[in-house]
Amino acid sequence: MPVELHRDWIPVALSADLPAATVVPAHTPSGILALWRSESGKLTALADRCPHRGMRLSYGFVRGEALSCIYHGWSYGRTGQCQRIPAHPDLTPPAAIKAASYATEERNGVIWIAQNEPQEPPPTLDGFKPLRSMPLAVDADRLSPTGEVRTEFAGIDMLLLIVATGNGEAVAHIMIAASASKDDCVAASRAAEGWRRDCERLALEDRAS
Amino acid sequence: MTTSSQPMIDQWYPVALASQLPPEGRATQLMGAPIVVLPGEPIRVVAGGGRDLPVTVRYGHVWTSLGEPSKELFDIPEADQPGRRLVEVGVVRVRCSPLRAVENFLDIAHFPFVHTDILGAEPHTEVGKYDVEIREEEDEVWATKVQFYQPQAAKSATGGITTDYMYRVPAPTSSVLYKTCPARPGDWDVITLFVQPLTEELCDVWPWMALFDDETPTTDLIHFQQMIFLQDRSILENQIPRLLPLDPGREIPTRADLTSVAYRRWLKRHLFTYGAQLVAQ
Repeated sequence: MPVELHRDWIPVALSADLPAATVVPAHTPSGILALWRSESGKLTALADRCPHRGMRLSYGFVRGEALSCIYHGWSYGRTGQCQRIPAHPDLTPPAAIKAASYATEERNGVIWIAQNEPQEPPPTLDGFKPLRSMPLAVDADRLSPTGEVRTEFAGIDMLLLIVATGNGEAVAHIMIAASASKDDCVAASRAAEGWRRDCERLALEDRAS
Repeated sequence: MTTSSQPMIDQWYPVALASQLPPEGRATQLMGAPIVVLPGEPIRVVAGGGRDLPVTVRYGHVWTSLGEPSKELFDIPEADQPGRRLVEVGVVRVRCSPLRAVENFLDIAHFPFVHTDILGAEPHTEVGKYDVEIREEEDEVWATKVQFYQPQAAKSATGGITTDYMYRVPAPTSSVLYKTCPARPGDWDVITLFVQPLTEELCDVWPWMALFDDETPTTDLIHFQQMIFLQDRSILENQIPRLLPLDPGREIPTRADLTSVAYRRWLKRHLFTYGAQLVAQ
């Protein structure tokens, strides 16, 4: 099923780039979310702002099954509810201290986030496997009006999942034909760098003219 | 600049180190207005159109104001106390509200997480009860009886100690910290944070110290403070929103934040809102 039929789901990262007990900033068209994987491997996406002092939670750290803010160590569980305030170890944090949470799904090596409650799961992208994610200084609309590009790099079938991240920038999550060998992956990855340079050069020339 | 920021116009702000003015002067900004700090006797500060601004040279720094200060610069009596070493730390530029820079300086609960193994360390994260007041006569915010366990409280400290702190906010973008002096128990080291508001979302931070420490080389003292402030900068440049929210509800304080709560209340009372966000967005 084509990606554009799944606009509820936004691809934000490749599974390989989010090991257990880490957090990353997940870029979406409506802003950044804090995407983290617990020590036991569970995925969570939270609003990227600690309700205490507004610090970005994507700068935080994961311990066990909780994400902690780097500023004062306030920790949040998978629902976004604050679990612990280190300055007051004996206090049960009030229910009001909560970061918004978003649905996540992981399929075929791609992590997806939904802003609402989608009816269907994200696409499986059969026939492809994840290669790498790549930021580009290019408007997403220039790359693809649908969020999906089918192309060839180094003669190999590719599927690019394009996400607008604001300020004329985008992220491409690059999938490669499932049958590709290790050498194919290296060649396609190099070709992807060339594609990025071409796209950014064209965008610059357009802006200048 | 909006009229609501007017009360802050009449305050004194640090704009240079008096001892380090280059011959051509220091071209800088104050609350969005370009100014030049010129060396000489006396030191001058000139705004656009050639207008001379009021100048005070104190605590190693050149202070000025775009408005008409109704009071002299706040007093730090310890600055003249014999035996203290006065340390000019220099400047750290931070892309944040000048008010957020001060609020961070008033906060101890972040020590174990931001200044790990220096000013704090897990599991010593608890912030005990302390006293906070707005002293009406002086019109200053004070926090006293603040205590915190520190692995290396100062350059001259050799091991972990429970450090006593007092905080004082005598002006909207200046704060004075008194802390246990490792070399002279019973006396207080003085560490200040003088903040120059370049714009509402950009500031130059000028730390300054008056210490009892005859041993540590000046370079080491400066490096220690700069390391601390660079660690703070990684936080300050990533808070959302960049302006300090003064309306309750946008950010949730706890008991450990009572100094910050009093500081925000005091800012609001005086309409010191340059660098503040009044309506939650």
